[in-house]
Amino acid sequence: MDADLERYHRQVILPEIGVEGQRRLLASKVVVVGCGALGTVSAPLLARAGVGHLTLVDRDFVERTNLQRQLLYDEDDVASSLPKAEAAAAKLRRANPDITIDAVVVDVNRDNVERLLAGASLVIDGADNFELRFLVNEACVKHGIPWVHAAAVATTGMQLTIIPGVTPCYACIVETAPDPGVAPTCDTAGVLAPAVAMVVCHQVTEALKILTANTKDLRGTLLSVDVWTNLSTEIEVKRRTAGAGCPVCVQRRFDHLEGRAGATLTSLCGRNAIQVGARPGGSVAFAEVAARVGAVARVTQNRFLMRFQVDGLDVTLFADGRAIVQGTDDATRARAVLAKYVGT
Amino acid sequence: MIYLDNAATSFPKPESVYTAMDTFQRTLGGNPGRSGHRLATGAQAVLERTRRALARLLGAPDPSRVVFTLNATDALNIAIKGVLRPGDHVVTSAMEHNSVARPLAALERAGTIQVDRAANDAGGRIDVDSLCAKLRPGTRLVAVSWASNAFGTLQPVAEIAAAARANHTLVLLDAAQVAGSLPIDVGALSVDLLALPGHKGLLGPTGTGALWVKDGLDLAPWREGGTGGDSSDPLQPRQMPHRLEAGTHNIAGIAGLERGLEWLGARTVAEVRRHEMALCDELWTGLAAVPGVARYGPAAASARAALVSFRLDGYLPQEAAAILDTTFDIAVRAGLHCAPGSHRALGTAPDGTIRASVGPFSTAADIQALLSALKQMAAERPA
Repeated sequence: MDADLERYHRQVILPEIGVEGQRRLLASKVVVVGCGALGTVSAPLLARAGVGHLTLVDRDFVERTNLQRQLLYDEDDVASSLPKAEAAAAKLRRANPDITIDAVVVDVNRDNVERLLAGASLVIDGADNFELRFLVNEACVKHGIPWVHAAAVATTGMQLTIIPGVTPCYACIVETAPDPGVAPTCDTAGVLAPAVAMVVCHQVTEALKILTANTKDLRGTLLSVDVWTNLSTEIEVKRRTAGAGCPVCVQRRFDHLEGRAGATLTSLCGRNAIQVGARPGGSVAFAEVAARVGAVARVTQNRFLMRFQVDGLDVTLFADGRAIVQGTDDATRARAVLAKYVGT
Repeated sequence: MIYLDNAATSFPKPESVYTAMDTFQRTLGGNPGRSGHRLATGAQAVLERTRRALARLLGAPDPSRVVFTLNATDALNIAIKGVLRPGDHVVTSAMEHNSVARPLAALERAGTIQVDRAANDAGGRIDVDSLCAKLRPGTRLVAVSWASNAFGTLQPVAEIAAAARANHTLVLLDAAQVAGSLPIDVGALSVDLLALPGHKGLLGPTGTGALWVKDGLDLAPWREGGTGGDSSDPLQPRQMPHRLEAGTHNIAGIAGLERGLEWLGARTVAEVRRHEMALCDELWTGLAAVPGVARYGPAAASARAALVSFRLDGYLPQEAAAILDTTFDIAVRAGLHCAPGSHRALGTAPDGTIRASVGPFSTAADIQALLSALKQMAAERPA
């Protein structure tokens, strides 16, 4: 075996990979969107496997409550408030100096997502919200980039692989984001680290199959595993055909990319506050949200609004789903806190 | 939707404004002053008719002194940056909108000019004695708003202008909140520069505004470029209005503005003022009956522009505005209204106030709907 492949000896001798597969991995470029619980498991697996060019993207900084499940970070990163993408890249460069690792500290949005994913052989999902997954899905379908979705909350993980033009896409199975506060998030319902690690192992394996040209071995189903109850299900996914078909992969309408869907952000005049607009026709069941958010913060509410304080920010949620996040003029931070606690 | 945000921009517009813009763009959409063909001369006619109509509205004898701008902010920048030179001294107030405050603050910060700010009373009215005391021999400019956009307070502009005149100081008035709501006569007021938006009380579309410049006052152009005539001169022409009007106009918008002015002329500014004052009175009085409401600015409708600023106990202004929109379908503006100094002066910073502003199409039913919503919100104040 060539000296440059020695590092990868144990996987090169696998018939599934071989020298040819390893060469393909080294020639590939993978973008990991989000370096939280999901991304800190997938990024090391990909870096050590020898993906030649790895780009790590995240908008957040390392916090103490991340350490329970975000396996790449430690107390030093918390103390120095390092951006997650930078901290992860620094560690992985030590694990494998033979590959290129980029860190991008940015809020992924419609203005930059296509640029961030340009030239990628594959995209790995490390997102913590629906909005971002819709954006990534549209960008990947538009440019024909395979993307490997994974998500975990509480003790359950889910995984689906999307190859534009071949498989159904994310918008085929998720039509719209749930109303604010309806879906559980890791910050309201909690998350067990092994549930994340388990689902990422499936995610990265599927990615390796695509990158080594073994697409015939892909699972093809939506996998859901509860590591606590050991209940595992596989669901056949079908391309959305109702009406004119899936707006994204059939009609090739990219509403999130082009700003026809998704939240509008308004910096409120004079106040250190960001208003995050409601989706058309959105509505909020205050009782349901209060039950979820009430587990981690004190909630006050009436018929018109509900308020709670999380991460040093004051959040007011209104009946149509709009929110005002006070205590920051940083739209990225406002979006992040809503993604974490309200799930939008 | 009940629209009570006319101080931001008027809505709706008279039907004739919409149709005039559509018709103009379909039938007359040439570039005024650039060519001799019928579309260009047709557009030129619209421009000049509207210029004359604006001059009539302002009591300005010479329409060529009325310059079309993008909005009042644009007009104020043209005036401030066209008049002031290094070493100049300016007197303004603490009640200004950022469109006056920021250009002055930037020049002050750069060391180009010196600025003093006159005091005001608890209702936001500028203290003329304080303003006079700030005037120095040679003070170049007094720049103030006719009415506070945050609190509605009408300023003693005649007294301010007289004091400035006696000191040989130029006066720039920001008429953003009064144009179309109060009769204006630049001659009687004895001011030198008046800035106004076309899209508020004058009922034109956004992207329209004007600056009136007194005869004999030459402003250095803030932007230079094509004007249509006298292209061979390497420099911007001295002739008004071309001196301050480089580049193609928002002529479709001006075609709409013409109809807004026409509508206003038929209804009359005096009648609009009566209508708006009655609604403001009704709101001001009604608010007193809502538990936990604090009202700001002068009590008399005759002492305010067509808006009322208030707060509701238990809700931040921004929250109250969001509830009015989401639950009651009422549009108001909340916060600092781009006039942070005025909120500091009246003690309503940093949260600001809720501002309800009426227009010619607002009704008593709109006011009652707002009061009813506020009563419900007051009755269910969150813990």
